[in-house]
Amino acid sequence: MIRIEKRAVLPRYHHLIAALIAFAAALGLGSAIFIVLGVNPFSAYQAMFNGVFGSFHSFSEVLVKTTPLIFTGLAVAVAASMMLWNIGAEGQLVWGGIFAAGTALYLLPSAPASVLIPMIIMASACGGMMWALIPGLLKARFNVNEILTTLLLNYVAIIYMEHLFYGPWRDPAGFGFPGTAQIPEAAHLIRFLGTRMHLGFPLALACALLLFIVMKKSSWGYRVQVIGSEARAARYAGFSVSRHTLLVMALSGALAGMAGMAEVCGIHYRLQTGLAVGYGYDGIIVAWLAQLNPLAVPFTALLLGALFVGGEQLQTVFGLPSTISLILEAALLFGLFGGQALIRYRIVFPGRKKEIPTASSHSGTTS
Amino acid sequence: MTEALVSLRGISKQFGTVSANLDIDFDIHRGRVHALLGENGAGKSTLMSILAGRYRADSGTITINGTSVSFSSPASALGHGIGMVYQRFMLIESMTVAENLLLSAHRRIDRKNVALTIQETAQQYGLDIDPHKYIFELSMGERQRVEIIKLLLLDAQVLIFDEPTAVLTPPEVAAFFSVIDTLRNAGKGIVFITHKLEEVLKLADDISVMRKGRLIVSTRADRESLSRRRLAQLMVGRDVVLQVVKEPVEPGDTVLLLENLSGNGSLGSVSFDDISFEVRRGEIFSIIGVAGNGQSALVEAITGLGPAHSGQLSFCGRTYTPRQWLNSSKDTIAYVPEDRYHTGSVGTMSIGENSGLTRLSAYQNGIGGMFLDRKQMLNDCAAAIKTFNIKAESPDDTADSLSGGNLQKVILARELSRNPRLFIAEQPTQGLDISATEDIWKALLECRKEAAVLLVTGDLKEVLSLSDRIGVIFNGRILEIIDAHDADAVGRVGLLMAGVSS
Amino acid sequence: MIDDITFISQIAIKSSVAVLLATIGEIITERGGVLNLGVEGMMLVGALAGFAAGFATQNALVAITAGMLAGGLLSLVHAFFTVKLRSNQVLCGLALTILGTGLANFMGRPLIGAAGIRIRPVQVPYLSDIPVLGDIFFFQSPFAYAAYILVPLAWYVLFRTRAGLVVRAVGEDAASADAAGVNVSLTRTLCIFSGGLFAGLAGTYLSLSYTPGWKETMTGGQGWIAIAMVIFCTWNPLRAFFGALLFGGLTALQFFFQAASIDIIPSYILKMMPYLLTIGVLVIVTTSSRRHTSAAPAGLGRPFSRDQ
Repeated sequence: MIRIEKRAVLPRYHHLIAALIAFAAALGLGSAIFIVLGVNPFSAYQAMFNGVFGSFHSFSEVLVKTTPLIFTGLAVAVAASMMLWNIGAEGQLVWGGIFAAGTALYLLPSAPASVLIPMIIMASACGGMMWALIPGLLKARFNVNEILTTLLLNYVAIIYMEHLFYGPWRDPAGFGFPGTAQIPEAAHLIRFLGTRMHLGFPLALACALLLFIVMKKSSWGYRVQVIGSEARAARYAGFSVSRHTLLVMALSGALAGMAGMAEVCGIHYRLQTGLAVGYGYDGIIVAWLAQLNPLAVPFTALLLGALFVGGEQLQTVFGLPSTISLILEAALLFGLFGGQALIRYRIVFPGRKKEIPTASSHSGTTS
Repeated sequence: MTEALVSLRGISKQFGTVSANLDIDFDIHRGRVHALLGENGAGKSTLMSILAGRYRADSGTITINGTSVSFSSPASALGHGIGMVYQRFMLIESMTVAENLLLSAHRRIDRKNVALTIQETAQQYGLDIDPHKYIFELSMGERQRVEIIKLLLLDAQVLIFDEPTAVLTPPEVAAFFSVIDTLRNAGKGIVFITHKLEEVLKLADDISVMRKGRLIVSTRADRESLSRRRLAQLMVGRDVVLQVVKEPVEPGDTVLLLENLSGNGSLGSVSFDDISFEVRRGEIFSIIGVAGNGQSALVEAITGLGPAHSGQLSFCGRTYTPRQWLNSSKDTIAYVPEDRYHTGSVGTMSIGENSGLTRLSAYQNGIGGMFLDRKQMLNDCAAAIKTFNIKAESPDDTADSLSGGNLQKVILARELSRNPRLFIAEQPTQGLDISATEDIWKALLECRKEAAVLLVTGDLKEVLSLSDRIGVIFNGRILEIIDAHDADAVGRVGLLMAGVSS
Repeated sequence: MIDDITFISQIAIKSSVAVLLATIGEIITERGGVLNLGVEGMMLVGALAGFAAGFATQNALVAITAGMLAGGLLSLVHAFFTVKLRSNQVLCGLALTILGTGLANFMGRPLIGAAGIRIRPVQVPYLSDIPVLGDIFFFQSPFAYAAYILVPLAWYVLFRTRAGLVVRAVGEDAASADAAGVNVSLTRTLCIFSGGLFAGLAGTYLSLSYTPGWKETMTGGQGWIAIAMVIFCTWNPLRAFFGALLFGGLTALQFFFQAASIDIIPSYILKMMPYLLTIGVLVIVTTSSRRHTSAAPAGLGRPFSRDQ
């Protein structure tokens, strides 16, 4: 009889296998939706594929979308590696954008690029950090649930940003268009090869690499890993959970803040409505699909970026709402859960008798 | 002998690649107590969990009064009159006794006169309990009574007890034994899982011994041949005289001195009060007591993980107030905590990485110790695997893949490598098999040559084998400090643990 | 003056109904030991389904049923992954919100701007004649009356019936409940489903009564506020009424200030208030509750499996 049993040890590449299962699940659900809508799934996927890889320009657009996703993905991942849920990357992104625009427009409007760009990057990191430290402090000091505080602060950040560009920061020459004036040219991030792909992309990759090194090689990364895996062991080893909570939230916020900077100084050149389009929430999916590994984040961010650009293509070709990419995003995540659960089991075929070792204290079968 | 009430035949159960039960036959009779003996991990609890419907056997049959049955859940086993009292009581702490009983026995008792029904049953079997108290207000003995009443209300004919005396104080044990007698006289079938030989010889009508998943022997208790020694031999599989050679060591300077230390612990645990003792280099000072008498909070205070509120503490000749102590460096205090799985180690990390947990400074390099030499950690761990004969494939094995004994040795090796002045071991051999226990005892005795050792345990045998001096803790106070060489005084330890002084 | 107070209070009640309904649902879910962060998504799906069904059939009862069922069905996704597969409840809830938002946005595209049915406030005979209070409490949408009944009903079921005992037992200590013969998986699934029904009802209120019509951002974070309110009211449905009223009151003040063009407080600050106040409430509740008096179900967020 074929039966299903629990694996004692996870297979070696279980992270990758789970991710592949997630991908397959999303493809499957997507197909089902296309069929329901009367669209041939193959032509739909082909359209998406063409939209992504069809030309150099289209692929560069994918990288444009990938850039903020890497930042927010890293932000979520670094917090989650200490079992902190930063659902507030969206709000931190917004504050990063506000600080970036503020620096460019009001603080150093006539500085040369060589001064202005580093200042803007730092300012945006500080903006995100400041916003993330609010829930960080509440968590470290009063143990307030950070899931809810980070999330609720997103709404506050967006309301404040809207207040700025509808009110005091509104472009006087903007014909009532909601948004600030354009930031000076010196504040524009350099763009590559005639596309919209900009300096933010290599910067994001560098951050991923840096974060990987910090997590794997530094003593700080070791402590964060211990705190995230086993809080009691961390206390026993004398690591301060509250101090690390603050540091991790600060780092997380800084990364998310840079996503806002990349959008403002790389794409929009001003503060406007299009800044908060959900990259912060997408970061959660990027991080968990990458299973919190900073080096895997650029790849999962690319996958999501491709999904967005492909989704837009579906709109042009088939007239389907591009929000289908949101559904596929969720399908990826649910597929990952399914994959992770599936990996815990294996199918045992009859006939293959193995030697049965006897019980020892190893199994922990008592209790 | 009469027809068995319940018969298990050919029961096998496998977990992953390990078979916990292999082709086991087991009988339970009305009005008899059947003791099931074995070491930790022998498969006793698994077998009984199968009978109680918690696990399903891979093969084998269960018959009750000659009819074959199969259980899909604990509830269906209870429906057939079989109930189990687990080591971890299955009671909801934030609810009252009545609510808990109502939850399981709602078909038998009426919501309105639940208190009355409970008291009737309780009196019938001599189990005194207040139905309106919350579970978290009750002592372990009282909780056990609630569990028994629960089974009786469900009209259980077979009652299975998993290590029932492990959490009880000696007087509670005596009361429990008399309840067992009442139950036996009422014609219930009783199974008693234990590894305490004295209890077996005192209570059992039938005895079965399990070892490594197999049933080694099953017999009536009234045989002359069954001595303690013979039972122990059956349990372990070889002649055991767990004895360690304790070389005399001349005690040196006082390393740790506690003077009137009192504190509450950090996690709402039982507080300790007015504790004074010293530990010198070259000796093992033991604190013995039943769990939950303030030891945890005391150890927390000594290791600096928790606060004390009054008294003072000297370490290596320097005196500290509790507050000063919290903020001082404790690099030369090694500590093997009670919970080796979640406190002493990080289960998901490799044992190599775990061997740096408490001594990160030894591996830091770069500016301000920014970087960590994980390779060196792995090398040190590989060396420890050899020295301590740890059964692990490599330092890359995750901590949770090791057995309790091997993991404990990883922790022990790490703590010993800190070259401590004071070595604190808390329940170091709890749940370990005999050979691992032996290794750890030897290591502790070796350690006392260089350091002061503070052993905190509830295991009398351990204390008698290792200690030079013994402090008995009860209800947060040390009742008496006894010289381990004073045979008369040592005889009193058991009573002192129950709070009976003089 | 009295008129102003009556007006503000009436709007306060009106604005609190959705949060109140969703809070009760989440209380039931969490009392069973499962955290479902997908409330926002379930509300959106409920709002769309309710609106669409009403638009298609012009029948209010069909619309409400459809909205509730849509929320309930989405919650079963959560049940499958958290109860059956024992996935991480936080992550799963977030995924559910994303899925719900995606589904609602995707399928609701053609309905934006459409005029569906609206369920108007109804005066309760006799009760609405009570001076002041009658206008405040008894000149409301039928959804509000449903909430008046469901709040004490939920409390009664949770704390005074056997079903409630079972739910609380499962939430406190699933292993013990299992040993007592309770079907933990079934109980948890039903709790999650009830939460989904309530969230769906809350969403339907928004799209049929509060702001009739379909808009992609119509929940505006009320689902998240409901989750925070669960903590505020310490998992007790009776207290949920006050939590929701607090939120509704702020929303009402904002309307009032705008309508009366009072500039004491800038409007963006007023808009932030519900979120900031919710955070403030969380801080107060978290700091004032001690370990033993904290009412959070002890098993909240912990998956249950008999083999472990």
